[in-house]
Amino acid sequence: MQTEQLYTASGMPVKDIYTPEDIQDLDYDKDLGIAGKPPFTRGPYPSMYRGQVWTIRRLSGFNTPEESNKLYREEYAMGQTGFSVAPDITTAVGVDADDPIVENEIGHSGLPLNTIEDVEVAFEGLPIDRVSTYLAERGPITAMYFAMAEKRGIDLQQIRGTTAGCMLSWACLNIPRQPTPKGYLRYGVDFIEWCSEVAPKWNPISHDSYNPRDLGLNAYEELGLLFASAIDFVEEGKRRGRVPLDRFVRRFSFNTAAHNDFFEEIAKLRAARRIWYKIVTDRYGVKDPNCAKFRVHVQSSGSTHTAQEPYNNLVRIAYQTLAAVLGGAQSIHANGYDEAVCLPSDQSMLLAIRTEQIAALETNVTNTIDPLGGSYYLESLTNELEERTWDYIKMIEDMGGMAQAMQDGWYHRLLREKPIERQKKIDSGEIPVVGMNIFRSEKEPYKVPIFKPDPAGSQKIQTDKLKKFREKRDKAKHAEAMKRLVDACNSDKNVYPYTFEAVKAGATFGEVMKAQLDAYGEWPYPIGI
Amino acid sequence: MALSDWDINEDYDMDTRKVKILMVKAGLEGHWAGLIVVSNALRDAGFEVIYGGNMTPAEIAAAALQEDVDVVGMSSLTANYMLTIPAIIKGLKERGKGDVLLILGGIIYEDDFDALKEMGVAGIFIPGTPLDEIVNFVRDKTSASVK
Repeated sequence: MQTEQLYTASGMPVKDIYTPEDIQDLDYDKDLGIAGKPPFTRGPYPSMYRGQVWTIRRLSGFNTPEESNKLYREEYAMGQTGFSVAPDITTAVGVDADDPIVENEIGHSGLPLNTIEDVEVAFEGLPIDRVSTYLAERGPITAMYFAMAEKRGIDLQQIRGTTAGCMLSWACLNIPRQPTPKGYLRYGVDFIEWCSEVAPKWNPISHDSYNPRDLGLNAYEELGLLFASAIDFVEEGKRRGRVPLDRFVRRFSFNTAAHNDFFEEIAKLRAARRIWYKIVTDRYGVKDPNCAKFRVHVQSSGSTHTAQEPYNNLVRIAYQTLAAVLGGAQSIHANGYDEAVCLPSDQSMLLAIRTEQIAALETNVTNTIDPLGGSYYLESLTNELEERTWDYIKMIEDMGGMAQAMQDGWYHRLLREKPIERQKKIDSGEIPVVGMNIFRSEKEPYKVPIFKPDPAGSQKIQTDKLKKFREKRDKAKHAEAMKRLVDACNSDKNVYPYTFEAVKAGATFGEVMKAQLDAYGEWPYPIGI
Repeated sequence: MALSDWDINEDYDMDTRKVKILMVKAGLEGHWAGLIVVSNALRDAGFEVIYGGNMTPAEIAAAALQEDVDVVGMSSLTANYMLTIPAIIKGLKERGKGDVLLILGGIIYEDDFDALKEMGVAGIFIPGTPLDEIVNFVRDKTSASVK
């Protein structure tokens, strides 16, 4: 049979049908093995979802810590099994709510976390001793979180959760007051070293390719960036030699997107596990296979959503979630179907959690491990993705590694080109988007409920709280802790013991970030047309 | 916030001057992909496009005056446009640039459309709008005022 040549979303050729011939070089024990055993292609844990289903973890937060706390309680009551905190854009920039550059953005697409009190309020009444938390930030808020946990009597040696910390995703935001890529690496590695001492069960970094993928990179480019960045961190850890490498990489975690090409996305997670195993074991010679487990949080792709007929997004999210499940993700965020229309409403948040619960409890896809393993097509895709990813990693390494490629502007040129390329393909119809560029309704057939945040009110609340906070803190103690932090930032010392001390002495988030930024200087963001 | 990527037309000539467009995000928002895509489409269509990126409303108004633009295009995906649009319009009027064509794209709530138009927003474009529609809109609206 000879039909039209078809391709995956990433442009890999797809045959009419796959046969044993396509995987004749596959060595079961060497390339697949059973779950929980190297090279972990079929899953990082021996029992996978039979032992424990993935963590249902929606990245959320809005308006203020007070209102976000209510939201987190609601999500927990709905059956969410992990907390996930999205700081707002001011917090991503690295400033407090009362900074002069903040005008109209408090509590948008996240919550402001400026002080240890904000963190205490956001987590009040939440069982963080039993449920893990993901913090979409770079370190200082985690220091506040640890201080809060200590106050509650939680042993930091046992505390579980994840800090984002990856430079790939942050640099995508293209916002002001960002450190150089080398600065990122310095503070990121400081944080990993510190956590390996004080909170060894915490994932001190989540290497994160979600944002670049959502901007238009394909599946193997996504993995290539992800691992090139992770390699930079390992290299820096190794160069410093302060923490043994097996302890340094043990709690690395990852975060990818789940895009539309169903089988390709499943293959992507399987290929990723094999690649990470090889990097840690073959390249760095780490003996303990537990250090080589690719543990991943997967989020459905916001860029595939449409503002037209928003309920169609529910279906896209469900398929993407299923791909993440069949790919063996440890933690999943199903998006809200209305995210192209507004910030997620209560109804869409509930539906997102239910989407994951239905997959987990009603479809029986969790009954056996890696159910698609051995499929001629899927194994071929897995092999092909692995090969293309190695090539992409090599290309980045030839540029001097990820941080260097960023510093040289390569990354942002890529990020600028990809959305334009994708939009051209959508406008031309090459990428079909149902209800948008194909089968588009003349008139929108229905409306969905809209949720609106309150930026003006939230800014006033945060600014008032900050004023009181600054007034009541012990000024001498604060000044001394800040001086020690600034000195550490300007030396080769690990900054996190001093950050921890400073936030306990009343340093605000913006003050800590400023100390970091001042030491390395601001990196002017390179996106333009 | 620096305007490092300004596309300065070296052959500036009043008679053949192109329609000039300032493309911005008001405030600190990070979702810039839509703004880049639309900026690129407008430039490909022959307009002179200045990519301002993240700027405060006051900076936007000041840049619109300094660069003498005909159009300001703003993208918002975080629902702060009901605060930033009035501030931009006020700033433009104060600087005698109240005649600038202001267009808005991104996640804009339908029930805000009327209020935004009342304020002076000429065109609103939500996700999924074909790029041609935006280009044609700008072309139609500016053909009378500029060659």
